Amino acid sequence: MCFNVYGQQARKKAIKPAAVATQQQLLKIVDFDELKTIINKKNDKLYLVNFWATWCKPCVAELPGFMEVNKIYRNNPHFKMILVSMDMAKDLNTAVKTFITKNNITPDVYLLDDNKRMNEWIPTIDTNWSGAIPATVFYRNGEKLEFIENVVEKEELVKLINRHL
Amino acid sequence: MKKIGFILSAVILLIIITPKTNAQQMKTTTHGGYKIGDSATDFSLKNVDNNIVSLSGYTDAKGFIVIFTCNHCPFAKAYEDRIIALNDKYAPQGYPVIAINPNDPTVEPTDNFEGMQQRAKDKGFTFPYLVDEGQHIYPQYGATKTPHVFVLNKEDGKNIVRYIGAIDDNYAKPDEVSHKYVEAAVDALLANQPIAQTNTVAIGCGIKAASKN
Repeated sequence: MCFNVYGQQARKKAIKPAAVATQQQLLKIVDFDELKTIINKKNDKLYLVNFWATWCKPCVAELPGFMEVNKIYRNNPHFKMILVSMDMAKDLNTAVKTFITKNNITPDVYLLDDNKRMNEWIPTIDTNWSGAIPATVFYRNGEKLEFIENVVEKEELVKLINRHL
Repeated sequence: MKKIGFILSAVILLIIITPKTNAQQMKTTTHGGYKIGDSATDFSLKNVDNNIVSLSGYTDAKGFIVIFTCNHCPFAKAYEDRIIALNDKYAPQGYPVIAINPNDPTVEPTDNFEGMQQRAKDKGFTFPYLVDEGQHIYPQYGATKTPHVFVLNKEDGKNIVRYIGAIDDNYAKPDEVSHKYVEAAVDALLANQPIAQTNTVAIGCGIKAASKN
């Protein structure tokens, strides 16, 4: 379930092999329990978690800004961006994978396949989340720092990261 | 008097703009709109057959299943057959489905009126599919996504909100649904029993508005 998009880019751009080895992008189906352990790691990292889907226009529209921001921060050891796809699991190797490659999506992408328990995990992410996407959440050491149920423009995202980093 | 008014508004303003002082500076988005027990507004919206539909036109109804939905959203599409089934089951019992498309077609062209007419025809909608022209109704309800359901119950001439949320607990696989939230809510109203689960949440497509961002 894991593929190395970064590796392909690295060959094109001739980035040092050492950097490639540390930057393997994940594309993986998870349930909410698995996602929780990923975003609640107690490693002093700021986790920026974006809920999106390939079919969600405002999500897709905000992603180029997110990718630009990730380019700035992804080498910071205290920062990690994660994309959580709400696409259907059956679309992982087609629509989702194609989208990631085409749009140079750099962060790890987890497809959250836990439809039956939406009414449980949505309020766990945020009690005020109605379930609309895009939504962006910041965590550090298992603590939620900020939740936004809306589009976040690039400039705003940089401000938010700087505030929490 | 003027001075007191000024001081009062300054104090109110201060209360409004004072930031949260907790260590985490936790921020969340909140939605306006209805809570359970609120009286829902009536509306006069254009149906796909060009007729204007209002809740007050349904004199025999005991209530309504108001569903904000649209043409383009995969979640909304996944629920179309179940929305038809809801209307077929509950309209004869006094709770008809009223579907409203809240999206701005300048943002989402496939959600334009012609698209709605086509969708209603293709799927054989048995209920009104209304356009929230000017987007005045969905913010009053507090709908944020499609599909988003509001079950209303007629009480003392008012339409009281009795359920807000999802249709059921599995958009992707209808045969694996174990909680039919809307059906349970309407069944409870029909039986004059309290509704066990009055609020649920599910992922949906954010409502498209040009003014936002």
